[in-house]
Amino acid sequence: METNWSKVIEVFSSGIIGVFLVMVLLQILTQLSTRVIDLVESWGKDESSESEVKK
Amino acid sequence: MFDILKELIFSSGAVSLTGGNLVMWLVAFVLFYLAIKKQYEPLLLLPIAFGILVVNLPLTFLMEPEHGLIWFFYHYGIEFDIIPPLIFLGLGAMIDFGPLIANPKTLLLGAGAQAGLYVTFFAAILFGFDLQEAGSIAIIGGADGPTTIYLTSKLAPHLLGATAVSAYAYMALVPIIQPPMMKLLTTEHERKIVMTKLRPVSRLQKVCFPIVTAMTIMLVVPPAAPLISMLMLGNLFKESGVVERLTNASANELMNIVTIFLGLSIGATMTATTFLNPKVLFIFFLGLFAFVVSTGAGLLMAKLMNLFLKDKINPLIGAAGVSAVPMAARCVHKVGSEANRRNYLLMHAMGPNVAGVIGTVVAAAILLKNLG
Repeated sequence: METNWSKVIEVFSSGIIGVFLVMVLLQILTQLSTRVIDLVESWGKDESSESEVKK
Repeated sequence: MFDILKELIFSSGAVSLTGGNLVMWLVAFVLFYLAIKKQYEPLLLLPIAFGILVVNLPLTFLMEPEHGLIWFFYHYGIEFDIIPPLIFLGLGAMIDFGPLIANPKTLLLGAGAQAGLYVTFFAAILFGFDLQEAGSIAIIGGADGPTTIYLTSKLAPHLLGATAVSAYAYMALVPIIQPPMMKLLTTEHERKIVMTKLRPVSRLQKVCFPIVTAMTIMLVVPPAAPLISMLMLGNLFKESGVVERLTNASANELMNIVTIFLGLSIGATMTATTFLNPKVLFIFFLGLFAFVVSTGAGLLMAKLMNLFLKDKINPLIGAAGVSAVPMAARCVHKVGSEANRRNYLLMHAMGPNVAGVIGTVVAAAILLKNLG
């Protein structure tokens, strides 16, 4: 059976590049979302400690 | 009396036994030994071994299409893609993505280890396998049983038994396969690197992670949807903390039930006619090659990252990028603590370990997209 080498190269390269791209994208989104949540949570903490001081 | 005895003997399966059946019994007994005595992945290897044994008893017709009991498990469970995603649901309900969220860089290690998988794809082609078969063999390097089964059932169902047993056997052999590779590709100095403590991760971050990940991966690589959606749903159950019953059901009862059907069905695909051919030996060899190369690729990726990082990571954690949760992470921890007693790498290695699960699913989805 004849091997379709252009397909092999395509699967090989698109696979390696594809996995890296998805994982890098996921890394960026994870960092971004955790940073946003950190900000929101620290903002929420500041607000609750301020209201406690006022009381 | 003699006639009755004669009829009984000639209608029994014993007269239809072939040499191939006997060899497959031997394979089953080796797996029984590994599962019971050595306790290598017993939850899977035990039902697989029993499946092999019963399907190689002549005239039982357990795998006869439309009639055999195990054929129904196989047909509706695996051919219909039900069981692997359900296993992922249970896996998600057990996994803690906290170390990954605390150190998202480790996602790259999960990607790095997948490079080995594509090298194996290339090697399998050189060994004479066709494109679909090569893809199914390569995924063994991801060290993820359900993903291997999912992809093989789509691309090369005739190789299902060999690739599944190969994947689970090598996963069980992580403590034997990985350490020599770790020591070969890292220096003593590198293995001694102590990593800084992981930052705490809030509950909200853990709840958001499965949602963000599911949306991202399914938008970019839709063929990953069946596995990744179930994995992230299970994790959302766990992290939300509001559906304890569903979390427990996914991680325990459901997981146990589908594991029985999965093991039995996989074992039952291994009849003498499908299993006893030279290709299977090559599959086991290439599976091992995939595992070793993926481990090496993860280690090299970690070393590459260290060239750019201010806070160096211990390159050993790259080896955990092959998934095999949590055996690979434990193995990293053991080798790291041998080099430096103060080194506690388990939690650091869990990041790339769970990233490896995601990476393998993405790699499988890309293979499916290109070859399916």
